Amino acid sequence: MIIFQHLLNGLRLGSIYALIALGYSMVYGIIKLLNFAHGDIIMVGGYIALLLIGAQVSPVIAILLSILGCMILACVIEKVAYKPLRSAPRLSLLITAIGVSYLLENLAQLIWGADPRSFPSSKIIANVNFSVGGVTVSLTTIVTIVVAVISMVVLNILVQKTKMGKAMRAVSEDTGAAQLMGINVNRTINYTFAIGAALAGIGAILYCCSVPQVKPTTGYLLGIKAFVAAVLGGIGSIPGAMLGGFAIGMAEVIVNAVGLSSWTDAVVYLVLIVVLLVKPTGFMGRSMNEKV
Amino acid sequence: MAREGRNNVLKVENINVFYGNINALKGISFEVNEGEIVALIGANGAGKSTTLKTVSGMMHPKSGKITFLDEDITHTDCYKLTAKGLAHVPEGRRIFLQMTVMENLEMGAYISKKIPQEDFDNVFQHFPRLLERKDQIAGTLSGGEQQMLAMGRAMMSHPKLLMLDEPSMGLAPILVEQIFDIIKDFHKAGTTILLVEQNAEMALQIADRAYVLESGTIAVSGTGAELAQSDEIKKAYLGG
Repeated sequence: MIIFQHLLNGLRLGSIYALIALGYSMVYGIIKLLNFAHGDIIMVGGYIALLLIGAQVSPVIAILLSILGCMILACVIEKVAYKPLRSAPRLSLLITAIGVSYLLENLAQLIWGADPRSFPSSKIIANVNFSVGGVTVSLTTIVTIVVAVISMVVLNILVQKTKMGKAMRAVSEDTGAAQLMGINVNRTINYTFAIGAALAGIGAILYCCSVPQVKPTTGYLLGIKAFVAAVLGGIGSIPGAMLGGFAIGMAEVIVNAVGLSSWTDAVVYLVLIVVLLVKPTGFMGRSMNEKV
Repeated sequence: MAREGRNNVLKVENINVFYGNINALKGISFEVNEGEIVALIGANGAGKSTTLKTVSGMMHPKSGKITFLDEDITHTDCYKLTAKGLAHVPEGRRIFLQMTVMENLEMGAYISKKIPQEDFDNVFQHFPRLLERKDQIAGTLSGGEQQMLAMGRAMMSHPKLLMLDEPSMGLAPILVEQIFDIIKDFHKAGTTILLVEQNAEMALQIADRAYVLESGTIAVSGTGAELAQSDEIKKAYLGG
């Protein structure tokens, strides 16, 4: 029974990592950028939800506005910081992303202070526990897993079946050829950032509900772990990011379960090192031909 | 050089194109009229592919003017030209290797809201091999099949001008024949074609007119038959 307990906890943590890893992977797939500001978008999403709920806005509207806020923020970052560097070396883009990450963290600290604020999770998901045959499951766990799975199914349909999804796949495979098909590459990149940020926004709410607090550095460690998940799954691959997210979540829970909880973060980094040494393309990644 | 009764489809006037400091096209001018097959031939690095890329908006000239169907497209964004009726099958085919054959064809018709079944049927009629492989991932196709897919994909947008960059590259002679037969079929069906080829012999056989590019300038031009007979051309490009 204890195994089921850990399994559920792993799935819950993993689904949050997976949602965030998807944003990393999709953006990498389309413009070969490791968007290190992605984690901080989660933090902003958390603050938006917290402040709106604090201002007596109904939780549903607060959640939707917070997701929308993440999407707008990501598009603005793309337009202001990344688009002017579209033809610059990838390294310049990477450094810019790190810069944007620091900017967001410090802006948040300036505006909302460095102290953690407690997140009104009970207003979003009731604090209820179910007990089934010795396994205790909180409603938060169930909601987290279900919402994450639904989001991923919707994303899959979006990417596989819709015109915009096909355009995203085309641009990520060959930007030049995609243009020749009549695809507006700039708009497609914008959509990709927006969709990645929407998933991050959903992840933000779920994460903040389970912590439950927000601080300016909330996105930092979460972002790094999701990044490791994306690399483990094979960066650029959407199913890979999902798989990688769940794998990292499980790994953390297992490390905790065997009593090495102070080693959790170290294990995640260890996974990154091992993946990069043994199989840099991850579970489902393709061998990368660096485009000039 | 426009022939009587034929409308000008593409007119390139005195374009200069640079890669950084390198002047790749030095003021070249040429035109393509409705219903023609026009060939651009020349050695490696003469600027043939650059010319097509500049026409299709993948690159922009520093000076000069490009007119497509009476509209100035010199600085138009690449993606907007597909809807205007320009299709470019780039060098190296550039099909979407991770998509299926069907999805590649759908991408070819990206600009249309709804794709009529006849458009797929039309492609499959020209390329029966693609029908057999329609649900296969494009990366698993042979080189010849990939070339067919690239051409089929371009036809999906009903181009008023089809630009082909080295369609014979890397293909076995029998496949080259097939590809050229299909180019002739497209032409018979009314498509205007601008063909870039290193295989000058084949290109001159089917071209109404041809231009010879030499290090970024047009050295000679004339009808396909004239150039095929010219001693100079024979020596430089036809191996004898």
